[in-house]
Amino acid sequence: MSTATNIAQWILGFLLILSSIGVILVRKPIHASLCFLLTLLLLAAIYIQLAAPFIAVMQVIVYAGAILVIFVFVIVLFQDAHQQIEEFRAKSSPILLWTAAVTFLASLGLLAWSLMSLPAAIQTLPAGYGTVETLGKALYIDFFFPFEAIILLFLVAIVGALYIGKKEI
Amino acid sequence: MDISLSIFISLAMFAVGIIGVLMKRNALVFFLSIEMMLNAANLLFVAFSREWGNQIGLVWVFFVLVVAAAEAAVGLAIIINLFRTKQVVDVDQYNLLRG
Repeated sequence: MSTATNIAQWILGFLLILSSIGVILVRKPIHASLCFLLTLLLLAAIYIQLAAPFIAVMQVIVYAGAILVIFVFVIVLFQDAHQQIEEFRAKSSPILLWTAAVTFLASLGLLAWSLMSLPAAIQTLPAGYGTVETLGKALYIDFFFPFEAIILLFLVAIVGALYIGKKEI
Repeated sequence: MDISLSIFISLAMFAVGIIGVLMKRNALVFFLSIEMMLNAANLLFVAFSREWGNQIGLVWVFFVLVVAAAEAAVGLAIIINLFRTKQVVDVDQYNLLRG
């Protein structure tokens, strides 16, 4: 692997961590969901780097196209309720928060340092790895019953969401 | 992409998700943090199936995606219903189950 792609991947990972931290740092929930969208798109780019382009496309379609849109709908629905949160101030002390932040960053740094010694990845992938064809075969032949079970789970979730969302239960 | 870089990114995302769940008081951002933890798990699945050239991990990513979608639908329905009864989206104010 050349150095240029390596540096590009490091920058990609750095941006991903930065945008995921942005989700919990920004004040308005709509900005948090936009940061999360950026996180999802960068994650899709990382999936392409990891030789899984179909997963990347599914990620963008399902997460950015469906789940995040529901989130934005609900955020718009509650527009004036988000200001109420500011009225109740947080009770945590700033010293403890800064201590926690420094500990968190230090442990992340320690982790990065200890991960450096892992062996490099195997470069030879089997033919057809990650394509729609082989993934579909694995999903519909090897994983047929789990697939049916997850369909049932999804049906139950849809019915449950409709039932919970009704005006009076 | 190196496996160590993938593990590090995934762990950092998961930690940020836990911090969001513990610290954010807006119920919707709370939920976004849960989705972020699911995404961190997905990244590990993809990275390790790339590492060993075995695509069973990619199949599990599909299942995690479906569970995430189902969880978002049910969870947002619960949040909408809670908002109807309490008129707030602050998770500190949700204490209906406190005895």
